[in-house]
Amino acid sequence: MQIQALVDNAVAEIGKVLLGKEPQVRLALCCLFARGHLLIEDLPGMGKTTLSHALADVLGLSWKRVQFTSDLLPADILGVSVYNRNDASFSFHPGPIFTQLLLADEINRTTPRTQSALLEAMAESQVTVEGETRALPEPFFVIATQNPIHQSGTYPLPESQLDRFLMRLQLGYPHAHAEREMFMRRQSASSERVVLQQRINLEQLQLIREEVGAVHASDNLLDYLQRLVAYSRTAAEIAVGFSPRGALALLDCARTWAVIQNRGHVVPEDLQMVLPAVASHRLVPSGDFAGDGMALVELMRRNVDVIRA
Amino acid sequence: MKPDQQISRNALVWIIISMFTLVAPHAGRIPVWVLAVYIFAAIWRIMVFQGRWSFPGRWVKAGLIVSGFAGIYFSYGSLLGLEPTIALLLTAFALKLMELNQRKDGYVLLFLAYFICITEFLFSQELPVVVYSMLNVTLVTTALIAMHRPGEHQFNRKSIRLAAVMLLQALPLMVVLFFLFPRIGPLWSVPLKSHTAKTGVSDFMKPGDISRLGKSDEVAFRVQFEGEIPPQSELYWRGLVMSKLEDGAWRSLRYYDLPPDQRRPRPVQTDGDPLLYQVILEPTQQHWLYSLRYASSPSPGVLASADYVLFSPAELEDERLYKVQTWPGAILEPTLSDWRRELELSLPSTENPRTLALARQLRAEAEDPQAYVDMVLARFTREPFTYSLNPRLLPAENATDAFMFETLTGFCEHYAAAFVLMMRAAGVPARVVAGYQGGEVNPVNRTVLVHQFDAHAWAEVWLEGRGWVRVDPTAAVSPERIEWGLERALAMEGSFLRESPLSLIRYRSVAWVNTLRLRYDALTYRWQLWVIGFDRDQQFQLLNRVFDGISVRKFVLALIGTWILVLVPIAFSLLRGRSRPAESEIQRCYLLFCDKLARAGVIRAPGETPDQFSARAVRSLRSSSGQIERITRLYGELAYRGTSERRAGASASLTELRRLVRGFHPAQG
Repeated sequence: MQIQALVDNAVAEIGKVLLGKEPQVRLALCCLFARGHLLIEDLPGMGKTTLSHALADVLGLSWKRVQFTSDLLPADILGVSVYNRNDASFSFHPGPIFTQLLLADEINRTTPRTQSALLEAMAESQVTVEGETRALPEPFFVIATQNPIHQSGTYPLPESQLDRFLMRLQLGYPHAHAEREMFMRRQSASSERVVLQQRINLEQLQLIREEVGAVHASDNLLDYLQRLVAYSRTAAEIAVGFSPRGALALLDCARTWAVIQNRGHVVPEDLQMVLPAVASHRLVPSGDFAGDGMALVELMRRNVDVIRA
Repeated sequence: MKPDQQISRNALVWIIISMFTLVAPHAGRIPVWVLAVYIFAAIWRIMVFQGRWSFPGRWVKAGLIVSGFAGIYFSYGSLLGLEPTIALLLTAFALKLMELNQRKDGYVLLFLAYFICITEFLFSQELPVVVYSMLNVTLVTTALIAMHRPGEHQFNRKSIRLAAVMLLQALPLMVVLFFLFPRIGPLWSVPLKSHTAKTGVSDFMKPGDISRLGKSDEVAFRVQFEGEIPPQSELYWRGLVMSKLEDGAWRSLRYYDLPPDQRRPRPVQTDGDPLLYQVILEPTQQHWLYSLRYASSPSPGVLASADYVLFSPAELEDERLYKVQTWPGAILEPTLSDWRRELELSLPSTENPRTLALARQLRAEAEDPQAYVDMVLARFTREPFTYSLNPRLLPAENATDAFMFETLTGFCEHYAAAFVLMMRAAGVPARVVAGYQGGEVNPVNRTVLVHQFDAHAWAEVWLEGRGWVRVDPTAAVSPERIEWGLERALAMEGSFLRESPLSLIRYRSVAWVNTLRLRYDALTYRWQLWVIGFDRDQQFQLLNRVFDGISVRKFVLALIGTWILVLVPIAFSLLRGRSRPAESEIQRCYLLFCDKLARAGVIRAPGETPDQFSARAVRSLRSSSGQIERITRLYGELAYRGTSERRAGASASLTELRRLVRGFHPAQG
């Protein structure tokens, strides 16, 4: 009950700045609870940056923001050693990555070289600069936003790097009534920026993680998970299916989702709920399939039997 | 190349193993260099697999093919005939390994492997060969399966299990086909085994020929009597009658040596019930068939010659079963034609003067031919003649003189030849008969087992009023040979099977070895009788009896019918096994519930979770909503809850679920 209330509070707080996106917000929280990095993908102006800022505020994490551009270099993120004339030595100036929450805006606008510098840090939770390995703070999250890859001036992330993101969310256009409310607020409210309150602190985050560890996934559920994974690997429409890491990500997210639903065991709905966010960026459609990752997820959800093989 | 078209390490290893097991039984028949080709090809292909060498180029391949043909030609002196063709096939099979690049090459290689497996049956259809061939088929099938499991980078034995299961499933079909498949006569003539050695007694006899057979422990033939088995000393298996002495060797008459009116056997008057028995003769590559005298055979393809032995017009390349009737007391040729008398008395007059002189002297002392025969036999008994498998070598000139007056040691052929010589010299028609004497009675199935070492030669003399009478001079010298067999007769000399230390017969005195050997031989006999002997006539008789007359329609229907009978259950069990792997009791209950709802018009979609399905079902079946929700909730608890969460008595709730589902009857619509 306690956790559900916590999450509800946090969702309500974010709702102050991002209207009508409750499911996505919950999934984003779920991703962070599961210690995963989050990728938000949509067209410009859909609220990607707003969501990432709001998440940082609500979790009360120290955060830094990097706007990725095509001339950004790895040193701009990781930090540089600067020669100090007084004591005639190099001293390291940490880059923006040394923070609890890094907001990587428009990650696919920068070159692959810079992308991979960031992604190494995401995988290892540490960075190596000039031969010296430095640990990143705990917790360390990356919330990255990107424009859809067919936009001009982008360097699409390769599949291997997409796999590092636990979830990919798409925000989409707001509903009509949410949009109307947005217009209304713009008219009435003052121009000052809404400041969000911290709703979940680090101890509570730790508590949630402990709860996730205790969630039970029954044999029946694992069978269903395996059928999903196997389907993604054998279906003609899917060229690249789940990797073992992807399959584990799916299970982790489902368990976390069960905790958010205040349940001690995973049910098939949990898997189906997190499936689009976890799977859509991992699955690669085969050449003659017209749809994208989301269409593949829908195909999986419809065709894989929940009860039996 | 797509990865699934590649030959994995596992598949390659299985292919090479099966190639070597396939060539192994042929090893004794093909030139040694063919085996070297196998090793060479395997090494080359392994080097290609390891990326050190590349596949052979076009010119290399052409060179290998040409040298393969040339090698076979020089080894056999011909490219035609059974052995050269098979050696050629085996060489090509080995070289194909060096072309094994993709899966399609593997198909060619492995289907060829199945064919090569069959070629072994052209040489032998014995039980061990069949067992070995089944092993080979399993190995080839294993390689075929391994080829369809790409990416197996370690050698493993997973595929062999599947191959064994598949072949076991094929076993019923094999049996059905064995009984039903038409025994089509030869559509093409199988080339003669011109390069296989002839075995057994040959059609001419020089001193030393039969003692050579005496060193072999191979089985010559097996006999099954209907009724009592005659005593050892009566078992004289006549094979060949040798009436001509030429250049120191006795030989039988060829068909065209006889004048036309002498080619058919004279009719024989038979009285009383005959002895009935059937013989299964091992392949000899010769023509004659062994029987007791006087014999006639009702089996097709068995003819009788003018000197009353049975023969087959075709060479015996495979085991041959024939039935025989024997009247032991019948009189053969009570009157002798002039031509025959002249033939059976003819003698080179210049050779062996001492023996001829002795014969004339003894004949002058004797009153009649019978007394003369007894006198000669008595001389063999009286003088210090010894029976030996390794007699001293005789000179080429006047060999019989040397035997009779100097060495005095010999094997049966020496005694028979000397005896006939003395008879003819004294004007008594006589001839040498070659065949087998005695045999071992197998107590397991009461067959008489005749080995090559039972080979024997004796004499027949023609006496007025009694026709041809058997006289065995060896019996006079060594009665043990006739009463107890060769082993006893040679006990003093110790030469019995001295050159085959591994022969099981040598260990006859060890009880369990002997029992094992005799049991195995009984099995072999049964195999030969029921499997090899199941020819077109047998099949026709059996089917006629079972189907009450054979028509093409019945035959085809029976064939198809049995196939369906065998295949449908297999297909059905496969289908069941595929769609439903092990389901738990909980799942079964829930699926029964889904079936009931489906009959009521609410069909579960595969991707629907229990809760979603329940919600949909409740919307269309409002009257049963309570039951549906209760069952769904119970199922959700049983299927997904952890044990720590679940209430005590989980098994009780399974029974509850079962009870609820059984009692669930949704109202239609």
